[in-house]
Amino acid sequence: MNARHPEVVWLDLPARYTYLHLLSDCIADLLQLVEGTTEAELVPANIQLAAHEACTNIVGHAYGNTGDGRINIKIALEFDPTRMTIELQDEGRPFDSAKYTAPNLDEVQIHGYGLFLIHSLMDEVTYTPLPGRNRWYLVKNLFAEGI
Amino acid sequence: MEMKTRLTGAIQVVEIAGRFDTSTVPPVAAWLEQVTVVPGAQVIVNLSGTTFVDSAALATLVQALKRCQNVKGDMYLCGMRRPVYMIFELTRLDKVFNIFVDEDHALKAFTN
Repeated sequence: MNARHPEVVWLDLPARYTYLHLLSDCIADLLQLVEGTTEAELVPANIQLAAHEACTNIVGHAYGNTGDGRINIKIALEFDPTRMTIELQDEGRPFDSAKYTAPNLDEVQIHGYGLFLIHSLMDEVTYTPLPGRNRWYLVKNLFAEGI
Repeated sequence: MEMKTRLTGAIQVVEIAGRFDTSTVPPVAAWLEQVTVVPGAQVIVNLSGTTFVDSAALATLVQALKRCQNVKGDMYLCGMRRPVYMIFELTRLDKVFNIFVDEDHALKAFTN
């Protein structure tokens, strides 16, 4: 039995909003390699949005939307089990989880949906502060029910 | 992102095609700021060509709706594709906005 190697794409983007569509394009292209995904229309859109929101947080909060800095991105489509993993690394300010308040969905809110969406749309979300950099790790299982 | 605006009777309509996100929000937000402060403003946001919305787009729409309601007007959304509608469901904003299947239904809701 041949184990299929992960298909991996690396991106090294300037930390600017204007480049984030490239991440969506790569996610969509990678997912075309998977057949029979449950909810085939929604899965790419959900992963794209979660990854996009994570990047907008890096641009806006870690780098303060200065236009400086870079986001190093590794997108991997794994086949055993079939899942997509997205690793984002930046050298901006660390994420302060103490300042984050989950949105109260019973009330109309203007802000605060970004991190909520990331956690809601992915199966695993991990933030790790490392010396001089930050690491976000997002996982989406591709054949689970209720994606 | 491509944005088209028009006036249908007294109803301001904007069509947003492509990605409606942090990098493309500014012209839509600027237009909405203009039309949603007019007393009794009636606004339709047609999302039938919108392929992607993010939290910045949601924030822009919520702010516009609040401004409309402050001037005793209203803002309707229409034509959402399923992945876009799902984000409104997830954030429960589908309960906040009046959402119609297409622009004709939204127009009729304003005129009836």
